Amino acid sequence: MPAAAPAVPSRTPSHWERFVAASKSRVRNVQDYFALAGRGLGFIFVRPFYGQDWVQQMDEIGVKSLGIVLLTGFFTGMVLALQSSVQLQTFGATMYIGRLVSASMIRELGPVLAGLMVAGRVGSGIAAQLGSMRVTEQIDALNTLGTDPIKKLVTPRVLAALVMLPVLTIINDFIGILGGNLISSAMVGVPTSLYWRTVWDQIANDGFTLRVIPIDFVQGITKPFVFGGIISITACYFGLNTTGGTEGVGQSTTRTVVVSSILILIIDYFLTQILLSVLGP
Amino acid sequence: MIDDESSDSRTATGKLPSDRRLDGRRMGERTTSGVRAAIRDELATEPADAETNDQPVIQLDHVSLAFDEPVLEDVSFEARKGETLCIVGESGTGKSTALKLILRLLVPEKGSVCIGGKEITGLSFEEALEIRQQMGMVFQGAALFDSMSVFENVAYPLREHTTMNEDEIEQRVREKLQFVDLEPDKVMEQLPAELSGGMRKRVGIARGMANNAEIMLYDEPTSGLDPLTTGTITRLLLKLQRELGVTSVVVSHDIRSVFRMATRIAVLYEHHIVFFGTPEEMAGSDDEYIRTFLGGS
Repeated sequence: MPAAAPAVPSRTPSHWERFVAASKSRVRNVQDYFALAGRGLGFIFVRPFYGQDWVQQMDEIGVKSLGIVLLTGFFTGMVLALQSSVQLQTFGATMYIGRLVSASMIRELGPVLAGLMVAGRVGSGIAAQLGSMRVTEQIDALNTLGTDPIKKLVTPRVLAALVMLPVLTIINDFIGILGGNLISSAMVGVPTSLYWRTVWDQIANDGFTLRVIPIDFVQGITKPFVFGGIISITACYFGLNTTGGTEGVGQSTTRTVVVSSILILIIDYFLTQILLSVLGP
Repeated sequence: MIDDESSDSRTATGKLPSDRRLDGRRMGERTTSGVRAAIRDELATEPADAETNDQPVIQLDHVSLAFDEPVLEDVSFEARKGETLCIVGESGTGKSTALKLILRLLVPEKGSVCIGGKEITGLSFEEALEIRQQMGMVFQGAALFDSMSVFENVAYPLREHTTMNEDEIEQRVREKLQFVDLEPDKVMEQLPAELSGGMRKRVGIARGMANNAEIMLYDEPTSGLDPLTTGTITRLLLKLQRELGVTSVVVSHDIRSVFRMATRIAVLYEHHIVFFGTPEEMAGSDDEYIRTFLGGS
């Protein structure tokens, strides 16, 4: 047996030491998060391309989220029209209801709601799947079979989310405006033709980028692209770093939904600031 | 530990070309104090028949590793070609960590790890992936990919790292499944969740050897299995060693299986190697810890 190490009197670490250790750990986690994001995105351009996994994830993230996105978009558009009509009636300006609904849906509610819905449905699913793979040693098995788990698991999910979130948002925007149309024509008395004309006025009024792309669309598409990245990378990060068996899988899933939802709402604000200063109001 | 109760394993140990194994029934008839002598007798009747040469295929040299606490300290062992090295010890002594070092899933803080004479500690991530392709790993819970069928699981390393066409892949998968005593037509389309524990382990072995790996690593291959299935898996590991000359490293608690298949045994105790030698030497050891470990004192 080796000689025992000289006894070191054990002492409880001070508050400061604990604070420093916790801070270091947080910084390391952020560093790991960005390292994962860098590698996950970098592998998009590196062979082998797991095309089948990518298509499968597009189905999982995009097609299977369609129902929930359609439902939230439609009802949000309807409630927007309903609430706006009450306010606009005060000024006798109910004809502008289309402008209000479209501006709100395309610039803000479409991307944010689609992001939050996908974070809840897809983010949790990715975290649970990768977390289970971690605790049942399937991630180690991939490594030992000579496959980089980030390339095989993270990259297809990130790529699929980057593509599908904007697509879902466009559908969400359209169905929301359609919901607004239904309420404004059925309950407020704004004709459909006028509603859609005011929708287009709003889109055209804010100007165009490169002469043909409405600025509203640039805002509306940039945001879900960023949100797609946040959701997929956050889910993969917590999933791959799962420890503690099945309980750990549950914790990873919860953290993914909480962190990605908060990040979406915070980054939405700063992104709007940046886009407004770059593209103009 | 050697268990007097598990005498049923005799039915699972009938067809080996060698009798170097310790038969369950005979073990059950002996008292624990006589076990070491019995082991010595059985081992003396038939020496290890693996084709070995002096060149170590796997070599750990004065390896130390710690996370928050020490995991391995100054650990050295080696496995020569065709050898089956078993690493035994109590839980939490760093046995599985040793396998991860061989696979370069972990890098030691001190010392060196050589595979096929090549130092692997300084390799890049991509170079390490290539080294791992020479090895097959069988995990404690088999670690089969849940979302893939048995066929896709075994075919996975072939699809990843070879240019074999579909026919060749299917032929190879069938061959490997047959080698591990599974009926390809029955199991190929099943999902891992539909298989029993023993079958999952066998599919795990088939996947590990699909690439014709020269080195096989096993993490607790017999844990959680009934005595019959334990016997079957142990026999399978011996078959791999004898028919294919594969170099194996087996981490195990199951001392009976270890004595059946090992050409050399390393005993880990509190992060150190306290014994490294042949089963005969272990059976004859007077070291108190080894005697306790064998249940002979």
